Amino acid sequence: MTDNLFWYGCNMTRHAEIIRLGQKMLQAVGVEAAPTGGPGACCGSPKESTPRIAEGMANRTMAKFRDSGAGRVITWCPSCHMNLDDFMGQSQEQGFDSRHLSEALWERREALAPLLSRQVPARFMVDRHIGFQDRSPVNDIIPALLEMVPGAAHVDHPLRGASYMCFGLANVPGALPDHLRATLDAVRESGADTLITIFHSCHREMVGLERDHGVRVLNWVHLLAEGLGWDYEDEYKAWRNSADPLAAIGPERVAAAGEAAVRKLVVPELARPRSV
Amino acid sequence: MVNHPDWSALRATETARMEAACTRCGACAEACPMLPYAPAAQGVAAPDLVRGVLEVLQGGPGSPGARDWINACTRSGSCNAACPEAVNPMLMLRLAKWRANETGALPRRDALEAMSRAKAFARLGFTEDEQKDWL
Repeated sequence: MTDNLFWYGCNMTRHAEIIRLGQKMLQAVGVEAAPTGGPGACCGSPKESTPRIAEGMANRTMAKFRDSGAGRVITWCPSCHMNLDDFMGQSQEQGFDSRHLSEALWERREALAPLLSRQVPARFMVDRHIGFQDRSPVNDIIPALLEMVPGAAHVDHPLRGASYMCFGLANVPGALPDHLRATLDAVRESGADTLITIFHSCHREMVGLERDHGVRVLNWVHLLAEGLGWDYEDEYKAWRNSADPLAAIGPERVAAAGEAAVRKLVVPELARPRSV
Repeated sequence: MVNHPDWSALRATETARMEAACTRCGACAEACPMLPYAPAAQGVAAPDLVRGVLEVLQGGPGSPGARDWINACTRSGSCNAACPEAVNPMLMLRLAKWRANETGALPRRDALEAMSRAKAFARLGFTEDEQKDWL
């Protein structure tokens, strides 16, 4: 039995440190939440072109959540969050409420504030998208949370991605490069030195800008962790920005994860061409 | 309280509701920021795009412009804000895409390796205990 689940989704397996930090932040403000995700807790979104299979996966996830006895599911992924609202909770008994991680932390901001004691000089701009805002006001909450970090200043810009996260844009020819170029322009116009991503797919697409365009790219959880004085390592960014991802991961870890799978599934993603 | 016994029933109910509620005014298409990324939709009147989407939703082939628009949807939600009839055009486009994938009007997105890739990254990034507890 657990009071809360931290449902990080499937594709967040690329960002273990964000899951760890998210869980630790919740714990620090008095919320115990057990991380759950990966293929065994899927919302069905990756199999959406075959709705019958997607529904089966989603139903299995709902049963898992119900069996956990959790009263609240704290979400990370906007696809999962929207599928829970639009499909899973429409056709299965829910028995729990849901909040995005940023909302769960915002609700406890009075407990969070005194913990944010480390100075982090940063003029940050947030990569914001319009599609999730009506489900959870992340575009307002996340800059407000980050402004609680001593030394961090939000620089506003009207740019909004025409999607709910970068994943949607990546599937439409030309749309993601346009968004990345517009984001770089917005960073320059606003005078930001740090670009903050909200979601994992945005982080995956934006980290390459750090190597090629000289802007520091952090996820919002990373900046909050820095304000808390917590160490972390963004390995995905390091691997994506290395000349040789396989060498950057290291032979021992490659062997432990299965070299054939890493070569077939991981390396092509890390070494994919950059669109800007 | 469960509103639908399963997703098929949800889709059938929503399709009937959308068909009845939509006036084909085209406000959703006019508000869509992704329309410039739908080549076959260029120059097509917004109400005609909506008619095409509703045809796809009912299992028909739809027009090339409608199919391109469905394919370019990124769930920005701009359409929902513009719709005067609360049709939920964002859901309409999403359900139309599912239907088009089933009828072959649009090719299925290849996500065959998505789960294997997620597992491979988990083996790289998670400790053994995390793999046991979190997956």
